[in-house]
Amino acid sequence: MDEEPQQPNSNKGNFEALWKIIDNQYCYLDYKNINWDSIHSVYNSKITDSIDEYAFFDLMGSMLSELKDGHVNLYTNFDRSRYWKWFSDYPTNFSSKLIYSSRYLGDNYRIAGGFRYLKIDNDSIGYMYYGSFSTGFSDSNMRYMLSYFSKCKGLIIDVRDNGGGSLDYSEQLASYFFVNDTVTGYIQHKTGTGHSDFSKPTEIKTTAHKTLQWQRSVIVLTNRMSYSATNDFVNRMNHAPNCIVVGDKTGGGGGLPLSSELPNGWLVRFSACPMYNSAMENTEWGIEPDVNVQLTTGDEDKGIDTIIEKAISLIKK
Amino acid sequence: MKKNYFILFLVFISSLLSAQSKIDNMYLLQTKTNTFGLSTINLTDPYLSPLIYNGLGLRSQFENHRLLKLDNNNISTQSKLNLTGALAFNPTNTASMLYFGANYGWGLHYHFRPLEQLQLLAGGLIDIDFGFKNIPRNVNNPVNVDLATNLNLSGLAIYIIQTRKRLLKLQLSAQSPIFGYMFVPKVGSSYFEMFSLWNLTGATHITSIHNKRGINGTFSIDVPFNYSTWRLGFRYEKLKCTANDLVFKKEEISLLIGTTFDVAKFSGRKNVAPKNFINFTK
Repeated sequence: MDEEPQQPNSNKGNFEALWKIIDNQYCYLDYKNINWDSIHSVYNSKITDSIDEYAFFDLMGSMLSELKDGHVNLYTNFDRSRYWKWFSDYPTNFSSKLIYSSRYLGDNYRIAGGFRYLKIDNDSIGYMYYGSFSTGFSDSNMRYMLSYFSKCKGLIIDVRDNGGGSLDYSEQLASYFFVNDTVTGYIQHKTGTGHSDFSKPTEIKTTAHKTLQWQRSVIVLTNRMSYSATNDFVNRMNHAPNCIVVGDKTGGGGGLPLSSELPNGWLVRFSACPMYNSAMENTEWGIEPDVNVQLTTGDEDKGIDTIIEKAISLIKK
Repeated sequence: MKKNYFILFLVFISSLLSAQSKIDNMYLLQTKTNTFGLSTINLTDPYLSPLIYNGLGLRSQFENHRLLKLDNNNISTQSKLNLTGALAFNPTNTASMLYFGANYGWGLHYHFRPLEQLQLLAGGLIDIDFGFKNIPRNVNNPVNVDLATNLNLSGLAIYIIQTRKRLLKLQLSAQSPIFGYMFVPKVGSSYFEMFSLWNLTGATHITSIHNKRGINGTFSIDVPFNYSTWRLGFRYEKLKCTANDLVFKKEEISLLIGTTFDVAKFSGRKNVAPKNFINFTK
């Protein structure tokens, strides 16, 4: 019944607490070949109890950015550390100006739950933009939307720049495009302090919706900012019949994050539970689309979204 | 009209009394004690945070005592419901934890009477324990739920002091879990995996003193006034349990005040039950 001694609320104590939380609970240290002990040595030498709170925060943020993980953040009352290179080093492949232009959603689009939607291309294609899996929707929202699109040849679900949210909404949205319950991935969790101490994989099933099923073409549009729960949605949709993923590789974020606290009350969020596709491949670095299309500046200048146009042509083919 | 009210009154009284055992005009009384109070609480839940959360709460306790049989004053039953709500904070006040706890227990006690004024009760109590803890700012692990059932050792000491005007009752009660079953999430596991994918492997544990130790005790004094008996109490609870490499702790100190009365109508020093009504401290 022994419990671990708590670190003191000093710079050294908070550094040791943060280092240990990541050492014991972060799930990708081995997968990413990160030598966390060596990182301890590097940063330990820089920590003294005399440096101020801001400098200490910056050092800790810098240490966490070694994990190269958008799910790792340090939250304080004055700042939040972050790692954004998973999208900032890549082309955006998305312009909200374009999707809200008269060629696509325009001004008179409809809104149901978190979706903005309209028929495009002379009403032949259904287009839905979903900007966050934190914004909910109901079966009733979906029933109206799918009914509205009932005469369309196919449906485009645009999840570009969708940074994630709830896995429940990811599963729910995918369920409308499945005919049978399908194992679409796996999840594990840490079972010990060793960097590769993981539980047996647990199946993640995508259950086909009982009453609402879209059985025509569906195209999912992605870019690097399709992250976390959106990454999960794309992974599920890879198994949906009649689905093609178009755009850029997703940003990843395959580790389900948990959180903990330092003695000074700062919150740390970190990837704790690795998620895999159905072939037990990690999805942390993103998911390749079926058809890789980049938004060209030439098209953008003409008010054309290259990725949406490609999706339209694939549905019409 | 008055006649109708009188008939209704008789029906009401007879329905109350019919709930009590009776043999040849002897009745077993149920002694009810309802107390309310303020608590200070310390909570350690490493699934939510490695830090200790301290705060204040409100506590209410509802207890019933009754002799088991009319012709045997050596065994009594006890049932009780405890409810606690509290708001606690981490040491730097940067995060709060909302706590709600409920415990229902039922048990039996054997009565020893070494002295005329002293009764010692010893027995066991089975309880169901529920606790809800929420740190709203946490990500994917904002909530932890305590679920447990326990067999507790239970004891009471009751000492009656005769003063010039009153009979004061001093009572010391204590309970300690010895065996049971509990739910404890695994440290790295998310509620998504446990309750969306229903992977609860390793989340339930048999408990005994090797992984769950605790005691809760209450010292109280019952003071009868003219038509009511008031109880003042001090309660202390300490619990420590471990599973899945996590150590959970709870410490609660409460000051309680309430009333105690013998159902259906006797309370206080001027409204003493006749001798054919028997309460659990017979």
